[in-house]
Amino acid sequence: MINKKKIASMILLLCVPAVVYFVFFMLQPARFGSVNSLFILFQQCLLPTVTACGYYFIITMGLFDFSIGSNIVLSSIVGGLLSIRFGYMGLFLGGIAVGALIGLINGLMFVKLRISSIIVTVGMMMLYECLGLFISGGGIFTLDKSVKLFGTAPYNVIVSILAMGLSYILIDHTRVGVYVKSIGSNESISRDMGIRVDKYKVVGFVICGLFAGIAGVLTISYSSSISPMLNMNSMERNFMPMMGCFVGMALKKYINPIIAIVIGEFTISLLINGLMTNGIDATLQKMVTGLFLLLIVGFTTRTSKARVVK
Amino acid sequence: MNRELLLKINAMSKSFGTTKAIKEVTVELYKGEVRALLGENGSGKSTLMNMVAGLLQPDAGSMELAGNAYAPKNVVEANRCGVNMIVQEMSTVEGLTVAENLFLGNEGEITRLGICNKPLMHAKAKEILHSFGLSDIDVDLDVGHFPFEQRKLIELAKAVYAHPQLLIIDETTTALSQNGRDKLYQVIRDMRGDGRTVIFISHDLSEVLQLADSITVFRDGSYIDTIGSVCATEDKLKSLMVGRELTGKYYREDYDGACTGEEVLRAQGVHCADSGLADISFALRKGEIMGIGGLTDSGMHELGQVLFGAQKVDSGEVKLTAAGKNIRTIRDAIGGGVAYVSKNRDEEALFTQDSINNNISIVSLRKFSKPLRLRPRAEREFTTKHANAMQVKMASIHQHVSALSGGNKQKVALAKWIGKDSDIYILDCPTRGIDVMVKASIYDLLSRLKEQGKSIILISEEILELIGMSDRILIIKNGRVSGELHRSRELSEEDVIQYMI
Repeated sequence: MINKKKIASMILLLCVPAVVYFVFFMLQPARFGSVNSLFILFQQCLLPTVTACGYYFIITMGLFDFSIGSNIVLSSIVGGLLSIRFGYMGLFLGGIAVGALIGLINGLMFVKLRISSIIVTVGMMMLYECLGLFISGGGIFTLDKSVKLFGTAPYNVIVSILAMGLSYILIDHTRVGVYVKSIGSNESISRDMGIRVDKYKVVGFVICGLFAGIAGVLTISYSSSISPMLNMNSMERNFMPMMGCFVGMALKKYINPIIAIVIGEFTISLLINGLMTNGIDATLQKMVTGLFLLLIVGFTTRTSKARVVK
Repeated sequence: MNRELLLKINAMSKSFGTTKAIKEVTVELYKGEVRALLGENGSGKSTLMNMVAGLLQPDAGSMELAGNAYAPKNVVEANRCGVNMIVQEMSTVEGLTVAENLFLGNEGEITRLGICNKPLMHAKAKEILHSFGLSDIDVDLDVGHFPFEQRKLIELAKAVYAHPQLLIIDETTTALSQNGRDKLYQVIRDMRGDGRTVIFISHDLSEVLQLADSITVFRDGSYIDTIGSVCATEDKLKSLMVGRELTGKYYREDYDGACTGEEVLRAQGVHCADSGLADISFALRKGEIMGIGGLTDSGMHELGQVLFGAQKVDSGEVKLTAAGKNIRTIRDAIGGGVAYVSKNRDEEALFTQDSINNNISIVSLRKFSKPLRLRPRAEREFTTKHANAMQVKMASIHQHVSALSGGNKQKVALAKWIGKDSDIYILDCPTRGIDVMVKASIYDLLSRLKEQGKSIILISEEILELIGMSDRILIIKNGRVSGELHRSRELSEEDVIQYMI
């Protein structure tokens, strides 16, 4: 269903990262934006992008998952442990299965407890964080060299693109995608249409968890080791995907949300990276991320008529 | 004539809280019949139909469809048994395309192995709309692009495509233009020609007489009578609907001249993009009841909020004439003696999880507060006085509002503002979902307030109520004032409706 209007908005959207890139490149031509560093940046933002591809399914319904970071950590640890015996099979199947399982638990807890998704997933996050610590035996877990292929290009890019394709098909070409959009738009009409709203909320959480699982596998492959996180530190990993999802939501009228998420994540990474090369240190960078989160969510929910956040 | 039974409704009952919406209703419907349901708002027609369509579950009673026990737990089950319903409200989902909406909840025939066959979906959607004379609708567009009427017709096309044995149409015609109505009438006639059954709910008596084979009348949740349309007249139907005991005083009976009191509130060129209001100007006089009518999404409910300062205007002003002050915020409004009761009573007019006492005193706390504390006894006396004056049926002033019936809740909401001694009352659908007796007492209250020189803005979806109570009626259509009618005995529903659509 590609028409001229959609192509035009796609080109317009692609201009945004180009402009950001150009601005920082002019400021710091020597330090910012070599092809090499751009590619590294691109590979780094694949992780939040893949996460966002799943997160989008529940954000569309007005729900949040704050356990995504702990899900990524836990699924990468389990995937890593299984890879010792079963190789790539263990890494992938283990990581993804754990991710989806966590999504299922989150979804069931949310539907049964009938409380805010934020509370449910923050509570569960603390559980998953501790679980990660127990399973890994307390220390850093390092992935064996024999199973590190998917941390390097082009293999990590291929896996990510496959994940994005999966998300694209789920959103646009399956019943789940239609129902998720429908529930997000109007829950009571959806219920009257015979859609089992609770079931599809759980399904949304499972998809969200599954993509976090894929992101977990990519994470441990890319950085070759992972250390369990405690004290809600894993929550930081939520915000990049969350921002991408809100960009996707805001632009879904003009462009497929998955494409918007990819471009959005890359733009945000560029911005943060650009600010860092201009001398903003790591602590300040967190402040910038926080501000971005508020700005992007505030701005995009305003344009999409404020029905997003519950 | 040999009539074959299609649906039998057996002694069905349904309550919402303490309100009995349907009281042991028994109705029989035949194949190839067009049946109209008549009754005032709140008489239970829609509730009954919602149960037939699987949207609500009955508390008691049973149904039989074509000889088999029929108890749909949800819409899907009802659809599977060949029962489809077009509800009063919008039931297409924004954010989905027209095609997605047409197959929402019914994706089976366009889905293979979990993947939706989009080209097939689009082709079928086009075909469905084409056969319905809606070829100009682009099925790829978000359904939100289309106006209410088109969306209603899309729903109708969807329902017809399902080829139901029984199609229920709940007050859809008011939203449709003549062209749309003709489409709907054609559907109804085609279904009858096919030996299938249609139930439709309408307030338009001439339409009912023209279309229906037989007419069933409801009043206060009870079945009153079913008569053939051949021997029915509008007058006969009206008296059945309202009932003899109410033919006396119900609405106001005075028709003496225009209201000439001093001006108390003026709206001047009000524009509000968020609520779709444009160029609204009027003046409200002391002792005047000004009705505001229109379709649900005309912007009239939002206008009530704008007048109360609950929504910001883009340009124009709402001014309290005597004080010369503009209303920009809710505090301005309350300070100027303006009261507002929302249409969404439970969500916006009351703290349902709090006592009657606290609900009534909330806007008047200054009256019994000392510098550092409240005077509870004075508060109790105050709230008791006003609750009693409104004849709220309650166990005590400390009872939670959630335990009250709809009518009594509304009385509490009104008592709050009367206690505050407000001068201007903006009442949005004050008799919505309220039984006839309480309705009559609210009409009586409005008349008394008017006599005391209070001014009332009565926003209502009930045309008869507007005609019966208002000195003047403003009709809002698409966010603009489309007509103004003055009180007279001769004013008919048609006079009002022609400005609404």
